[in-house]
Amino acid sequence: MAANFWNSSHYKQLFDQEEVDVVHPLDKDKGITLEDFKLIKMHMVIPICKLAQQVKVRQRVVATAVTYMRRLYTRKSMSEYDPRLVAPTCLYLASKAEESTVQARLLVYCIKKMYSDDKYRYEIKDILEMEMKILEALNYYLVVFHPYRSLPQFLQDAGMNDISMTQLTWGLVNDTYRMDLILIHPPHLIALACIYTASVYREKDKTAWFEELRVDMNVVKNIAMEILDFYESHRLITDERINAAFNKLKP
Amino acid sequence: MPENDVEKKVADRYLKREILGEGTYGVVYKAIDTKTGHTVAIKKIRLGRQKEGVNFTALREIKLLKELKDPNIIELIHAFPHKGNLHLVFEFMETDLEAVIRDPNIFLSPGDIKSYFQMTLKGLAVCHNKWVLHRDMKPNNLLIGSNGQLKLADFGLARIFGSPGRKFTHQVFARWYRAPELLFGAKQYGASVDVWAAGCIFAELLNRRPFLQGDSDIDQLGKIFQKLGTPTPLLWHDLEWLPDFVEYSSQITQPWRKLCPTASDDALDLLSKMFTYDPRTRISVQQALEHRYFTSIPLPTDPAKLPRPAPKRESHNPRTSDLNDGPVVLSPKRKARRVMSDREGFDGNSFQVDKVDERGGEIRWAAGDNSGRNEPVLMSVDFSVFGSKPMSRPTINSADRSHLKRKLDLEFQHPE
Repeated sequence: MAANFWNSSHYKQLFDQEEVDVVHPLDKDKGITLEDFKLIKMHMVIPICKLAQQVKVRQRVVATAVTYMRRLYTRKSMSEYDPRLVAPTCLYLASKAEESTVQARLLVYCIKKMYSDDKYRYEIKDILEMEMKILEALNYYLVVFHPYRSLPQFLQDAGMNDISMTQLTWGLVNDTYRMDLILIHPPHLIALACIYTASVYREKDKTAWFEELRVDMNVVKNIAMEILDFYESHRLITDERINAAFNKLKP
Repeated sequence: MPENDVEKKVADRYLKREILGEGTYGVVYKAIDTKTGHTVAIKKIRLGRQKEGVNFTALREIKLLKELKDPNIIELIHAFPHKGNLHLVFEFMETDLEAVIRDPNIFLSPGDIKSYFQMTLKGLAVCHNKWVLHRDMKPNNLLIGSNGQLKLADFGLARIFGSPGRKFTHQVFARWYRAPELLFGAKQYGASVDVWAAGCIFAELLNRRPFLQGDSDIDQLGKIFQKLGTPTPLLWHDLEWLPDFVEYSSQITQPWRKLCPTASDDALDLLSKMFTYDPRTRISVQQALEHRYFTSIPLPTDPAKLPRPAPKRESHNPRTSDLNDGPVVLSPKRKARRVMSDREGFDGNSFQVDKVDERGGEIRWAAGDNSGRNEPVLMSVDFSVFGSKPMSRPTINSADRSHLKRKLDLEFQHPE
């Protein structure tokens, strides 16, 4: 982990789980439960990923965009900040912040191509307006650290840097963005939890290597448990369940 | 809408004053923060015509300045949207290092130079510790506050350099401050590019004129080699592999004593380490700060006691508050002197004629007054003042370069 994480705004802004799991009063009034809230955030990662593939930006941009979106909803309601506009706008903002700018025009074009649904019909103007609102809500803090950077170093150090292990852990890291982990834990611990999960999954005993690390393994294990819980519950989520959550957001 | 009310309330906090300058992405104006009573500089970022939202370079600056809080880095106090434009509120800075270096009425003692340069390196060290390359180090991006504190500004070209192997553009820095690896087209580079530029600033402080003044990229390399000798693969292993490598005729290194006649041995030793050709062996900012130059006598001057250009006298000259405040602040006498010094100033000592005790604003003002009778003659040779000096400074965008303008704004927008 780069030494600068510890004096970054990202580190200072880490939340406790209880702070993240607060449904905004405006959303509560509409009957949104904590479960709905989590489900919608999880679901909105999908259009961000799809859109990112269309406009060809790095995974890092996706990760930053999702982080912006999750941070936004710790402060703002989904009623005022429609997730269907917030998601592409976060990708737009993240592409600029991560130095791989995507034109708003191209984004809007891709959205229209991807969705026939009217709810996704946003124009350039809407994205640019929302960009300003998101910037303000994020208090202009834009630098985000991700587990991707430390992952290859850890894998190499643990002697697990073969292709299959690299792919598996990379995929696990991608999936952690369906949860709020990036708001709560330092990225290198998330990377370690993914490696831990992968080693357990592939039945490779890496206990000795983990013990040598000067990190709190209890935290790593807890993150790994959460990741496994996510996969467990993810199988039970149906489209109806997601639609029901979104329908509550209707004015 | 209540949202607009909030917006208006925030904007009302600042009392707008005169415009300080205009940059590529907006206007910079002076304002009073009614909440604190402090003077601030507000950069209004125009939203681009191309419908691309918040300007990319502005966003870069916001992103990095939010991470870099330090006494030697310009403070981004606040940012707020108003009427569709983003406004960035910075602490107001009185002047910049270019104005100090160019002011013939200022005598810089070795301790003064040490102090200004130490603050420059301290600010840069903070950037590098946080893996930020500034990439636009030059005297007029080093702003100076009313307490003498020097602060790095203009982070529009800056970026994070953490990931190894990432390719960056080599089109960064004003040419005179560009490291040789960039001039040879290197796309992978590190903190050493800022060190080279800092070395140029150091030499400029010592000699009171730009150190390496090339008028094209090729000429810039020529100027470097002319002074520092042509590098050989022995000195710089990767040299021949750089994308735009061209061979230059062999020149021998000139002795540093000759290049900076007024500098101490310690200063020259530090200079030579900052101008090491191979970026890998070039001294780091942290090492430079630990160099014995900074601990040897004379010690760095207390920032509050550093010489600075006399504050402009708005009340005496209504034209100074014009929107396009050009060089009007300079009295004729000072302009004249400036040209004379530039002309005969190649021994690096001529500024010292002005002596320390002339620093006081009033003395100079008086001196300016009795220069009247010489004015016509001197004005005729004074083509430097209105922006067409024999060798204009290669700012990336030379639109406005007045001393009045606080160079908070970017000069250049570069697509990555």
